[in-house]
Amino acid sequence: MSANGESMVRHAAIDRAFHWGTAITMTLLLATSLLPILGVRFAWYAIHWISGLVLTLLILLHIVRALFWQRPRSMLLISAADFRSAGAGKYTLAQKLMHLAWATAILVAVVTGLLMLQKAGVFFMERDPYVRSPGSWGVITLLHDLAALLSVFLILVHVYFGVLPEKRGYLRAMLTGTMRRSELTVEHDLKRVDRGE
Amino acid sequence: MDILRHGHDTYGEQVVNGVSWDLLPVAFWAGIAVIVGHLIWRALSRRGGRRRSGGGA
Repeated sequence: MSANGESMVRHAAIDRAFHWGTAITMTLLLATSLLPILGVRFAWYAIHWISGLVLTLLILLHIVRALFWQRPRSMLLISAADFRSAGAGKYTLAQKLMHLAWATAILVAVVTGLLMLQKAGVFFMERDPYVRSPGSWGVITLLHDLAALLSVFLILVHVYFGVLPEKRGYLRAMLTGTMRRSELTVEHDLKRVDRGE
Repeated sequence: MDILRHGHDTYGEQVVNGVSWDLLPVAFWAGIAVIVGHLIWRALSRRGGRRRSGGGA
């Protein structure tokens, strides 16, 4: 995060593109998987697996970018300072926990979804449901389903906190990239923020 | 309410097929519960803050 007067760059354009790309693909994935369960019938499968592959690509790019161009510790490491009032680094404790929950849900969904491609078949992979036992497919599907249910919960909570008036600076930063330093002082320690913690 | 969906393998043994979709409303309402809980906590903490600063009724 670099300082530019009162305004600070919080999210680079590529990170915002990742966030909104993930949001769109997750919405498509949940809509195409859950609407048929709720009785809305349509040809959901192609949209679902294509969105799943796009999400997989986005996650891979995000991991590479986080590892080599960003400071993953600023998001992944939870320190004692995060529990102090106005002591957060770049991300608050709540934001770190939300990222951890999303990472769990999405990684489980991606890994199990990729495995399930072989059961259902796609044009570049021959369908072979007999490569695993019905019990194994059941466990894989169970994990995929749990990731979907966790995602439903997380979308509600994530969107709610995103639109709260006192958190709107974060939403603006995810749209425009920048945030005012004065907005950060409510929950963040600017020294930690400037150090990239 | 069921927790899991079940099926049978080729030998007739019962196997897990996935999560019961009875849990879909549970996930939804759990999210709503967190939102409502936070809204209540937020309103109470703001009222408490106003009282401490002498601006409350």
